[in-house]
Amino acid sequence: MALKKPAPTAPSSDDERRLARDLPGLLSALAAADPLARRWAARDLAAHPNASRALVDRLRIETEPSVSQVILTTLTRLGDEIAVAGLTECLRSEDAMLRNAAIEAMKQLPDEVAPVMEQLLKDDDPDVRIFAVDVLESLRHPRVEEWLIRVIAEDPHVNVCATAVDLLGEVGSERAVPTLHALKARFVDEPYIQFAADLALKRIAQG
Amino acid sequence: MKRILVIDDAATVRLYHRSILEELGFEVSEAVNGLEALERVAEGDFDLYLVDINMPKLDGYGFLRELRGKDMPQAPAIMVSTEAGANDQKLAFLSGANLYIVKPVRPERLASHVLTLLGMTSNGRGAPS
Repeated sequence: MALKKPAPTAPSSDDERRLARDLPGLLSALAAADPLARRWAARDLAAHPNASRALVDRLRIETEPSVSQVILTTLTRLGDEIAVAGLTECLRSEDAMLRNAAIEAMKQLPDEVAPVMEQLLKDDDPDVRIFAVDVLESLRHPRVEEWLIRVIAEDPHVNVCATAVDLLGEVGSERAVPTLHALKARFVDEPYIQFAADLALKRIAQG
Repeated sequence: MKRILVIDDAATVRLYHRSILEELGFEVSEAVNGLEALERVAEGDFDLYLVDINMPKLDGYGFLRELRGKDMPQAPAIMVSTEAGANDQKLAFLSGANLYIVKPVRPERLASHVLTLLGMTSNGRGAPS
C-alpha cells in the first residue's frame, strides 16, 4: 500500500516557539494570528534592545489581554525611552485593565519615568494627571514628595488633588504641612478634601 | 444590620466611605482591589457594593463582571470613579453597576444613593437593621 504523504499543517503554538528566535523571526511571530505565538514572541523580545518600537506598535492594536500583559512586562524590562513613551501612552487608553497594567509597569522604572513625570503631571487631561499621581504611589524616587506638594498647590482639578493628598498622607513630611493647609482653604466646600487633608496632617504630625 | 463592601485601592477613600456608611448604621467591610473583593464575597453576603474603577490586579469592571456571573443573590452596586466620561459610564452599566457616581463624593449624596438602592429612606423609615 502506498503511503499517503500527509498534508502540511500550520505550526502549532509549541512549534512557533521553535521557529527562528532572532529579531526578524520574533517580529514576525509578534504579528501571528495565534495569541500564544504572539505571547512567546513578546516574551522573547526582551532579549532584543531594539524591539521597543515594535512592541509599542503591537500594544496599540493587541486585543488579547494576556499578550498585552506580556508586552508591558517586556517593555518594563527594556525600559528605554521608547518603552517608557509606550507605557505613558497607555495612560490615555480607554481600557482600564491596560491603564492599570501600565501604571504598575511604570512604578518599576523610577529613573526612566522621572524625566517624563513633570510633563505628565501638567498634562491637559486630568485623568492622565490622576494616573501619573497613581504611578508616584510606589515610585521609589527622591522627588516624589516634591511632585505631590506641587500638585496639591497648583492643580486646579479637585480629583487630581484628592489623589495626591491621599498619597501625601503616606509619604509626606513636615514640608507638606503649609501646602496641605492651603489646599483645605482652596477647596473649603469639598468634604473629601477636608477629610483627606486632615488625615494627612494627622499622620505627618504622628511621624 | 445591612452589610456594605467598599472596594478601593486608596486607603483614605475607604476610610472616608466607611465613616459615612457607619454613621448611617451599616456594617462596612473593605477590599483593596477586585480580587480581594471576590474573596470577601466568597466569605459572606453583602447588601451593596461600592466599587472604584481603577485598581491594580482586578479593576472595578472586572470585579462586577465576575460578580454578576456568579449564581448567587445579586446585590446592587454603585461604581465610584474620578472619570465622568460617557464611555466609562457605559462600561460600568454593561459590567453590572446599578449606579455611577463621580468623585469627589459628598456624604449626603452617597447616603441618599445608598438608602435609595437598599429601598430605605433617609427620614427614619426603613433604617438599616
